[in-house]
Amino acid sequence: MVIVMKLAVEVDNLRKVYEVHKRRGLFAREKSEVVSVDNVSFSVPEGQALAFVGPNGAGKSTTIRMLTGILRPTSGSARVLGFDPWKDRARMAFHIGAVFGQRSQLWYHLPAGDTFDLLARIYNIDPREYKKRRDELVERFDLGALIDVPVRKLSLGQRMRAEVAASLLHKPKLLMLDEPTIGLDINARHQLRELIREWNRRDGLTVFLTSHDTGDIESVAERVIIINHGRIVLDDTVDDLRNRKEFAGLSLEDALAHIYGLEHDASLDDDKVEALIS
Amino acid sequence: MSALKKYWAIAWISAKSNLAYVSEVWSRLFFLAVILYVFMCVWKATFANNPAGRFEGFTLNEIVWYLAFAEAIIMSSPRVTPLVDEDVRTGAIAVQLVRPLSYPLYRLASNFGEQIVRFATTFFAAAVIAVVLGGVPDNFATGLLFALIVLPFAFVLDFLGYLLVGLSAFWFEDTTGLALIYSRLTMIAGGMLLPLELFPENFRLVLKGLPFAYIVNGPAGLFVHPDLTVLGMVLVNQLVWIAVFSLLVAAVYRKALGRIALNGG
Repeated sequence: MVIVMKLAVEVDNLRKVYEVHKRRGLFAREKSEVVSVDNVSFSVPEGQALAFVGPNGAGKSTTIRMLTGILRPTSGSARVLGFDPWKDRARMAFHIGAVFGQRSQLWYHLPAGDTFDLLARIYNIDPREYKKRRDELVERFDLGALIDVPVRKLSLGQRMRAEVAASLLHKPKLLMLDEPTIGLDINARHQLRELIREWNRRDGLTVFLTSHDTGDIESVAERVIIINHGRIVLDDTVDDLRNRKEFAGLSLEDALAHIYGLEHDASLDDDKVEALIS
Repeated sequence: MSALKKYWAIAWISAKSNLAYVSEVWSRLFFLAVILYVFMCVWKATFANNPAGRFEGFTLNEIVWYLAFAEAIIMSSPRVTPLVDEDVRTGAIAVQLVRPLSYPLYRLASNFGEQIVRFATTFFAAAVIAVVLGGVPDNFATGLLFALIVLPFAFVLDFLGYLLVGLSAFWFEDTTGLALIYSRLTMIAGGMLLPLELFPENFRLVLKGLPFAYIVNGPAGLFVHPDLTVLGMVLVNQLVWIAVFSLLVAAVYRKALGRIALNGG
């Protein structure tokens, strides 16, 4: 029997080149190109939790923004839930949720419940369906006592729980999380990771996570892709990465630092780096 | 229809959110009291040499109410430019772009809700002072009705101007200077400091050909001198300028989307 795995994300030779202008004197400008994402290809099956990681400036955000349709690639193609992100951004938006750790979608002076009501309108959710979904989210995210409290009075941990719950209101099939636990204390981080994992495992939500926190990766993701200098340098399951011989005795954080370090070592050429990692 | 509903919902939540700032009305009351008192003293001196008691069709009381209305428009003017600037610079625009929304329409709706609340509180404060300084004007109810008909269009026009300045953040390092020039143009060419009717005729004709006149002078003038013909003329000009600015915003925004990467990407 052949099991056909449906893909939530398909990326093929995605490339993004930025034009950078440098001032030379008072009027003259010099144009140069910076390759941010360099022919990246990968796919994410539906229901998988993927951690997409790399050092600052590696090309993570650019890739995410291309996948959400905000940025147009220089070349290559991508399908997200069957949509072309650049042509169908508005239609695709009904099926994806996004949480940007440092950018709130909740109205600061109003209770989170008001933002939920607004999102129900934005996503055209049927009022009865909305009520059911809202009740479910309030219960599972333990927001009962918080939903009517102005967002400015919530702790960061409580606010992030409300943020993630808000992003699930329209039942997205894919949730994109960009640094969701940044700034949270240990308890809040743990709680949020558990919730994301639960929605992934129990509800089949595809999760696309970027984070510098290895705890997020270990707790939530089953697979990790490491990107550096715009290229994928590692694509493996989290378990296999942890069990690699060369990283024996190392924490995941140290293993990642090792991989990033190898990438940064100018004395190694690309083949050597790939050989060392694989 | 559902698209319209979602933008109304945004305007509504924005208005609700801005009620948190209603207490600002007291600080505005103080500020407006000073401004209107100073202006009244200046105009009193001007009227002292005018035995007819009218100046280009304005009585002293009408001038005070004109200023009160015009000040309320200017003081409730949107904070669009710094918001758009910040959205562009920090990459926060991404939060809006992953939703099934148009970013300019989202900002328009959000701004509209905010400006209604800000205008209502500021005009309330200005009206209290104007009543104390000069009493209730003639044609108050008709004037208010006429002004309120054109006011929403004035808000939209003003918003579009500030949005254009804000979108320039995609090209310029700092939009504060441009926003300052734009706001001063609205004050002077819009007729806040001096009703456009008091300018020399040639100059007045030029200013009435610019969009700023229909942000401030149009509504404030109709408030003190309600007139059906003027109402029609103001509305037509507002709609024409809104169409022109909308086309400009559409063109600039399309260009700007291609540059998102360089700003916060």
